[in-house]
Order: sequence, then structure tokens, then C-alpha cells
Amino acid sequence: MHIMEGFLPLQWCLVWWIVALPCVIFGIYQLKKILAADREALPLLGVTGGFIFILSSLKLPSVTGSCSHPTGTGLSTISFGPWITAVVCSIVLLFQSLFLAHGGLSVLGANIVSMGIIGPLAGYAIYRVLRDTRADIFLTVFLATAVADMVTYVTTSLQLALAYPAETGGFAGSFILFLGIFAVTQVPLAIVEGIVLALVFKYIIALKPDILIRLKVFSEERILKARGEME
Amino acid sequence: MFEELLEDIAQENGLREINTYLKLCTGIGAIILCLASSGFVPPLFIAVILSAAIIILARVPPATYAELFILPAGFAVMSVAGIILITGGQNVLWHWDVFPGLAFSITKESINEGFFVFCRVMGGMSALCFISLTTPMTDIFTAFRQCRVPEPVIDLMMIIYRTIFILMDQVVQVYQAQVMRLGYSAYRESIQSFATLCGAAFIASWDAGDDLIHAMDARCYDGRFALLGENRPVELVPCLAAAVFLAASAGIVICAGRFSLLQV
Repeated sequence: MHIMEGFLPLQWCLVWWIVALPCVIFGIYQLKKILAADREALPLLGVTGGFIFILSSLKLPSVTGSCSHPTGTGLSTISFGPWITAVVCSIVLLFQSLFLAHGGLSVLGANIVSMGIIGPLAGYAIYRVLRDTRADIFLTVFLATAVADMVTYVTTSLQLALAYPAETGGFAGSFILFLGIFAVTQVPLAIVEGIVLALVFKYIIALKPDILIRLKVFSEERILKARGEME
Repeated sequence: MFEELLEDIAQENGLREINTYLKLCTGIGAIILCLASSGFVPPLFIAVILSAAIIILARVPPATYAELFILPAGFAVMSVAGIILITGGQNVLWHWDVFPGLAFSITKESINEGFFVFCRVMGGMSALCFISLTTPMTDIFTAFRQCRVPEPVIDLMMIIYRTIFILMDQVVQVYQAQVMRLGYSAYRESIQSFATLCGAAFIASWDAGDDLIHAMDARCYDGRFALLGENRPVELVPCLAAAVFLAASAGIVICAGRFSLLQV
């Protein structure tokens, strides 16, 4: 999903930077507020960033100038909300381009919009809708993660289609083509990522539920109940 | 996959002592010139010169550098194939109506466009690699602080930077233990093992992060990481070399920016 350096024309690089920057700036404002209230949130944010880095470094080739991999943003958006996720993702994407040559600097804005903003926003919406219902905790995590992943890829397809519309069918033709190519790798990957993150939550609830209680991801009562059901 | 990060190479490269801003300006300038070009010659020129600088001046082993390019080059070739099929044009060489509303064709114009995008990706990637392979992250942190990037963002960057290495150690250890116990022998077990791997790594890193904060608190941490980075002075020869390279690239963008592979 990381669009690679040099793939987007200059005007589209600028457009996506302009879209990404206000969201990242708002995220920095929220980050300052969280760190002022609870300085111990810093290590967790660091862990989350490292986790996203590792997960989204597992990449598979795709035929669209991009690549497919788990995004790992579900955990961050559930724990800290979408705006701080945008900041964490921006840092992770910068590190990935500099450490591993995944993505790039000119296309960083486009990658932030897809993986750091739109995808996590969609995942967060699902989480907020299901959080206070009777839906199972693990189902909520699975859906939020899988949807965040899928929406990220839909956004990347949109970005590529806008930059390279097809001669026949224009933007829509190109969008369908890119979406179709991504779907082959991404639908199974989103499902697997959802399952993996739900199992990660299960593991954390079994061994260290206080992390989730402190972050108010779910109410203490529901976490302890889920833990009780597992035993 | 994580055995060798570009960061490890950057710490020992031959251009390590050159001023950070000079290297960043050269790399970012090259990326902008690649994007500003409308023909394939300037990005190709930038790719050749910067690759030579990486191999000869930064003394990065050619095999390591080539390995770095294999994956992006593979993606670029596949992407270019996609662009060639959908771009269209006047001089049609091959055409296929897939279904109403979507047709694939190969034209001289689309081949030109595809080759141009391929060269732009190669130019951009070599500029990105020039920054990655010659500038360690610690130097970039110093540059960020001097450029007044907000403190919480730099702190978060440094924590993430530290956590990546803790996580990698954890992941490698747990993964090897799982493989030895046949944890990845079947698909279902792989999913279970991978989830356990992620969960274990997450909890262990959380503990390591907590320990780090407590240790720093014990040393009077006041919410701002001390950063001892020191920027090297700008020397005349590297500065002239970067200026000549960027001026030559800009000149080529202006003079040869519209050349295409096939005559239309």
C-alpha cells in the first residue's frame, strides 16, 4: 500500500501533502494534551509505533505501483483515536522510507492520508459504534482492524486512479482496475490481520489486562468479564 | 527482512562526516527535480549520478545497493505495465476491449509514459537511498530539533526509534523459538503463532518502555530528551559538488526534459 517514491506526479504529491498536514497538526495538538495529562502514555505510543512499523514492513508485491501488507493501525486507532494515530503513522512511514526504502518522501503525504488518516478513521468509527453495544470485544477489534485495513487500500486505489485515469472509463475505470488488483491480496490479508489483532487482544487480556483498562479501550467490567470467560 | 536496516549502513558510510543539511538538500533537491521533469532523461541522470555517489563515495557495497533496488524495481516494472495498458494514445500497437467501460491498449504514447514513470521511480528511489544510506537517524533528529519540529513529536520519534529495535529483538527471539517448536507447520497454527508473537512482543516492549521511563525519571527526566547530536560544518568541496550536481540536473530538466523514448 505504500506508494513508492517517484510514482505520483508532482501535483498529486502536493495535493496529498496539503490534505495530510492539517490532520497531522491536529494530531500533534492532541498528542501534547495527552502527554501533559499522562506522561506515561509516551512508552505505549512508542510501542504502538514500533508495532505498526514491524507489521507494515511485511510486504507483498501488487501490480499497482504499491504493495500489500498488514497496516497495524487498528491497535493504535482503538487505543488512542484516529488523530494521534495520524502522528504515529507519519513517524512510522518516515522511518520506513528511511530505514527500509518502503514508500518515499514526496509520496509521504499520500501514504499518510491512506494509512494514517482515512483507514484509522474508518476503523475508529466501527469501534465507537460497537464499543458500547453488546457486541463481543474480540469481534469489535476484528471488525475495526479489518475495516481500517480495507479502507486504507480503497484510498490508495483512489489516489492511484486519480493520478493515472484510464483512457477508456477515465477515473472510474482506473479505480475499479486498481481496486480489483488490490482485492486479490488485500481482502484475505485484512481478514487475517483482523484475526491476528483479535488474538493479540485476547493475549493481552489474559496476561496484562491493566494496559487496556488504563487506556479505557473497553470498560473494566467488560474486560474482566472477557477474561473470566477465557478462564 | 530486518537483518540489515539501512540505518546500520548509514552509521558506517563514507559520507557520514558530511554536513547533514547538505546531504538532505541534495537528496530532497534531486527528488523535486525528478518530479519536476516531464521526460525520462533527468531522472535517469539523477539515478546514475546518485547511485555512483552511494557506491563510490559512501562506499556502500554494490551488492547491498542492488539488493535494495530489486523489490522497488520489480514493483516499478509491474506498475509500468499497468500504466502502459490503461494510458491509451493515438498510435495504437495493440488493443483489447475487456468489457464495456474498460479497455486495455498498448500505444507509443503509453510506452513513453510508462518508461518515464519507471525512470522517475528509479531517480526518486536513488535519491531516497542517498539520504537513507548516508544520513543516520540520530543526525536527522538533530536536524529536526534545529528546524523547531515540536518537542513531543521528536520525543515520540526517539521512543519509536528505540522501540523498533527492542521489538525486533523480541520478534526474532520468539519467532525462532516458535519455529523450533513447529509453530508455523500448518496455516492455522501459523495464525495462532503469529498472534502470540505479536502479543508477546507488544507486552515485552510495553514493559521495556515503562522501565525506560522509570529509569529516566530516576535521572531527572523533565519531559524533554537530551540530544547530544552535533552538526558538522559545511565544507567547500562537498558543497561545490552538491551545487554542481543540482545545477546540472536542473539544466537537464530544462534542456532535455521533454525527450521521449519512442518518436510519436
